[in-house]
Amino acid sequence: MTAIENAVPAVSDRLSRWTLLIFACALVNFLLGQALIVAGVTWPEVAFTAGSTLAAVHLITLGWLTLLMFGALFQFVPVITTKPLLNQWLSLAVLILVEFGLTGMTVGFLALNRGASGLARCLPFGGTLVLAGVLLAMGNIVTPLLCSRPLALPGRFVLAGLAFLLATVLLGFTFALALSVPAFTPLAAPLLASGVGYHVLAGLGGWFTLTAMGVSYKLLPMFMLAPEERGWWGECVLQFGISGFGLSVIAGLLSVWRPQAVLLNAVQHLGWLAIAVAVMAYLIDVLRLYRTRKRARIELHNRAACGAFLSLAAALVIAVVLVASHRLAAYAPALVLLVLFGWLSGLGLTQLYKIVPFLTWITRYGHQLGRDAVPRVQDLVDEARTSPWFVIYFLGVALAALGAFINVAYVCRTGAAVSAGATLGLGFEYWRAWRGHYAGRTRPATPIPPPYLSRGGPAP
Amino acid sequence: MSTHALPSREYVLDALHEVIDPELGYNIVDIGLIYGLEVADNLIKVTLTMTTPGCPAQDYIMEGVKQRGLRIPGVQDVDIHLVWEPPWSPQKMTPIAKAHFHIEDDTP
Repeated sequence: MTAIENAVPAVSDRLSRWTLLIFACALVNFLLGQALIVAGVTWPEVAFTAGSTLAAVHLITLGWLTLLMFGALFQFVPVITTKPLLNQWLSLAVLILVEFGLTGMTVGFLALNRGASGLARCLPFGGTLVLAGVLLAMGNIVTPLLCSRPLALPGRFVLAGLAFLLATVLLGFTFALALSVPAFTPLAAPLLASGVGYHVLAGLGGWFTLTAMGVSYKLLPMFMLAPEERGWWGECVLQFGISGFGLSVIAGLLSVWRPQAVLLNAVQHLGWLAIAVAVMAYLIDVLRLYRTRKRARIELHNRAACGAFLSLAAALVIAVVLVASHRLAAYAPALVLLVLFGWLSGLGLTQLYKIVPFLTWITRYGHQLGRDAVPRVQDLVDEARTSPWFVIYFLGVALAALGAFINVAYVCRTGAAVSAGATLGLGFEYWRAWRGHYAGRTRPATPIPPPYLSRGGPAP
Repeated sequence: MSTHALPSREYVLDALHEVIDPELGYNIVDIGLIYGLEVADNLIKVTLTMTTPGCPAQDYIMEGVKQRGLRIPGVQDVDIHLVWEPPWSPQKMTPIAKAHFHIEDDTP
């Protein structure tokens, strides 16, 4: 045995101090985005490219999912790499820049709806702040990743995801300039006309999906006591994922200017195929992970995450059918909705149900360990009370996706309202966990210690 | 100088049962995180590991072991060595912890 550390620091640098605040802001943004959809001012009631739709989409993608990913990465990249972040305060700066930038973008998008060109200038202004926030976040996250050798599989997923994030944000910034600054419009007109889909693909696929896969490769084994080593399957998912999303986005963007190029079209289809292989391999590997877990009775966040994996599987099947039948463009918004709400937001909400109590425990009870009786992380939540919210959430998503695919707006809105209600319910449960609402009632107070504190086996 | 007698190894292990891994929600002794324990000259030397490298609760668990050790009469210092070899696995749990987590015993 090799001792690598023998000093206990007074204050842990393994805790990301701003992650819980970032999660809270992200959840508020998600609820605001959902509220716009439920109010009927976004697609499918109006065009997918309408300003109000773009406002809702960016509240969800930038305000919710990107901040959620940043908050999670600020906490878990040091876990993956065992190296600290560049600076804890950078995390707060990122939150401020992204929130202000998003506000500017939302005002700009809504102004586009009303043709208010003055206020539309908020769009590139907000975009600049978001770009600055993203660059700061990347610096904070990439530093420990680059200091870690060899970099574990989850870290390599995150690095790839961040590269796609940069591409997504730069593309988005170009769109913002084209939409609001007349001088840029002719220059970026072809990109604006047929390049938006690749901005969406780079974001939803390259950034969110690859990063979510990488983080799940650390979290799922850790919480289910399953083997972390993913071997050939993990490599397959990573390599096919990077090449698939990379080829599709690059060839797609080039084809904006050369739409008739046969080679670009072939490369793009090769990319689609690689994405399908990556997603299928990931889903099979996740199934293997669940089957080989040592923890027989898994916790709610891992049970509920199955809804997200099912959504991803459904999205894969539907996407394959749509690409094969050349109908992808017609149903792309519905597919985006399924991926955004079912796979990405579903996974995010379920994992928050573990991460929030865990960080709460560290913040509130960590320093009492060894000095006093402390609750367990499990004691901070009430799974029986929360599990219906996850069921309702995924049922709402299924209904909204159905409405989107059959193009019946009120069905889509009803589903969105159901999932928004469930998100609110889950938000209250995260709040209760953070407030220690359930901790007192399950705290060990009896003279006879509970089994998890009692002597149960031979001495080491 | 302390007037208390030196605590036995068994006594110290019993005390460390009060330190939990917060995520698994079970004491670190039965989970198998304690790899070695020496008691000598009012000093406890604990060799321990974590369930996963870089665990966010790592510093708190180590501090918890130190604080619980220092509360034992006669103990003046607690020396903690964190190790990663051999890596922890669920098979390092005691039978009662394995039963709690419904983990099959693979030991021959």
